[in-house]
Amino acid sequence: MSDQVIVFGTFFICYAAFVWYAARLHLRYRRAKG
Amino acid sequence: MKRVRILMAIAAAAMVAGLYLTLTSPTDRLQGEFTRIVNIHAPSMWVAFLAFGVTALASILWLVRKTDRWDRIAEASVETGVLFTATGLFTGMVWGQAVWGRAWDWADPRMASTAVMFFVYIGYLALRRATPDPVMRARRSAILGAIAVVQVPLVYFSVNLFRSLHQTQSIRPDGATMPDEMVIALLVNFLAFTLLYVALTAGRVEVAKAEESRSGETVPAGDAVATPLLSEVEDV
Repeated sequence: MSDQVIVFGTFFICYAAFVWYAARLHLRYRRAKG
Repeated sequence: MKRVRILMAIAAAAMVAGLYLTLTSPTDRLQGEFTRIVNIHAPSMWVAFLAFGVTALASILWLVRKTDRWDRIAEASVETGVLFTATGLFTGMVWGQAVWGRAWDWADPRMASTAVMFFVYIGYLALRRATPDPVMRARRSAILGAIAVVQVPLVYFSVNLFRSLHQTQSIRPDGATMPDEMVIALLVNFLAFTLLYVALTAGRVEVAKAEESRSGETVPAGDAVATPLLSEVEDV
């Protein structure tokens, strides 16, 4: 596997984790507000 | 919540700018493409330190003032801090495997102390879920949050205090050990990650407030660990 693929994959996983957490907060907020 | 949305938009724009600079900045001759990972790794760990520092401060303020606000901030900050510690550890392992030839080494004081810090703060979140009474929960977690912060300087200065695979600080008062383009990309990412921390923590505080107002009290502890009262299980 090329170095670029590993680096971009690492970036993708980290940014996806941030987006997942923000989306989870949004859904929890909407559920709590009914 | 509108304020959180504005914060989130500013943080997202800063993250895009940081990513652009990361992908366009020059690479190190020996590390090659893996140089870029440092622009996520170091800001992630900085934000983790900041988050656990904020938790300690909020915990002390809860112990002094006993207001829900500080308990919510402490909890929100730990949750965000654990997320950033996870990305810091993950990126460090990928970088270590490529550049050092090994992803993990328990003999390295910074890796070992960071792992301990990570598990202690996961323990903080578990402690909260295992304590059903809201006042007891706030007190226990405030004490842990105020004590656990001693790990932050230990992790940070471990490279100066012990023999470590990690290098010492790259940006020092007497100048940086990197070209200007790399320093700028790194500093923009530090700013972007800090803004993201502020936005996510503020969002988490709003979620806690909304859930408390819905339940009419405070956030319930995990049902799986809370022992039911005998009066609630009469039909069993």
